[in-house]
Amino acid sequence: MNADVVIIGCGPAGLQAGIHSSRKKADTVIIGKLQNSALYNAHVENYFGVPGKTDGSMLLKMGLEQALSFGCRHIDLNVIRAVAEGDAFWITVESGEEIRCRSIVIATGISRMKLGIPGEKELLGKGVSYCAECDCNFFRGLKVAIIGGESKAAVSAELMTRYASEVYWVSKDISADKMLVDRAVKEGVKIVSAVPAEIKGGKNVESLLLEDGREISVDGVFIELGGKSSSDLAMDLEILPEADDSIKIDNAGRTSVAGIFACGDVTGGPYQMAKAVGEGVVSGLNAADYAKGLK
Amino acid sequence: MVTELTESTFDKFIEDNKVVVIDCWAPWCGPCRRMTPIMEELSAELSGKAGVAKLNVDDNQAISIRFGIRAIPTLLIFKEGVLVETLVGLRGKEDIIEYIETM
Repeated sequence: MNADVVIIGCGPAGLQAGIHSSRKKADTVIIGKLQNSALYNAHVENYFGVPGKTDGSMLLKMGLEQALSFGCRHIDLNVIRAVAEGDAFWITVESGEEIRCRSIVIATGISRMKLGIPGEKELLGKGVSYCAECDCNFFRGLKVAIIGGESKAAVSAELMTRYASEVYWVSKDISADKMLVDRAVKEGVKIVSAVPAEIKGGKNVESLLLEDGREISVDGVFIELGGKSSSDLAMDLEILPEADDSIKIDNAGRTSVAGIFACGDVTGGPYQMAKAVGEGVVSGLNAADYAKGLK
Repeated sequence: MVTELTESTFDKFIEDNKVVVIDCWAPWCGPCRRMTPIMEELSAELSGKAGVAKLNVDDNQAISIRFGIRAIPTLLIFKEGVLVETLVGLRGKEDIIEYIETM
């Protein structure tokens, strides 16, 4: 598939960028799941012109419909890969589909990394990891569990089959695309339908306790929530994120790489819808201009 | 300057510097690549106060095993030859400096 502008992220910043990009007649594709936006489970009561408590999911659904009405296309999946090639970019989504575009808007928000269960903090670096790609080599011949239900967990589980002796993918609610799940299972990943309750260990991780009372003996626990994180995505595209994972932009929404713009929570605080949509306008308009200028 | 350590230079570097910060890293690790400019700035700011170095864990696995490293980036901080802190994950320059100054 070809597009002028690809917007990664389907929260208020990404949707607003999509609205402005498509109204500038740029062929625009928004990639991401509405429910991954921080706004989805929140209420808004401080947004200009919207009095009372307004349901975030309702705003997002209306925003998506609005973007589609201006000609945006929407892919309800996570991005698993992004790469620059000449003056274009290739984006791969979890179904394997590739989109070639002229310009990218990163509007992924802030990635939630932590699970918040006992043992997670205490055993960090002693078997608990948030980066399978970084730490896979330390678990050669060992047993590991991957926690998370989306594309990041699926990709990490498949990767770990090349290193670990056993890979358990623990999730009660797998929503990664079937293609990714099938690929992981084919490589020998064992799916455990359960909710993790506690990571146990002493000097190192020894087991993962599940809410249903089962306990899996493992040497490593990889917490891989959501889709590809904004910082990993940025690194793939040769953008160096800040130490706090935010992506620096100028007042035109431009990142350090030509053709790549960013907006919303991913650029830093305040984490407010008004700020997100404001930056979305700027990034969407400038990404559309950039893409059309290259034609 | 950030000194690149190996298994053969590791112990002497710790011996020669009163305070040592070692970034254990690998080239395929995204957060490790993000540590590189932070370590360079740290090296300049701590010049004369601490030895700042990095160690490729892939090429020097004996050190990884010796210190039980199972995640990267990991910062090893030594004072007078003794390991006093292991910091796991990406850290900002100010965090590291603050840690060393209050050590």
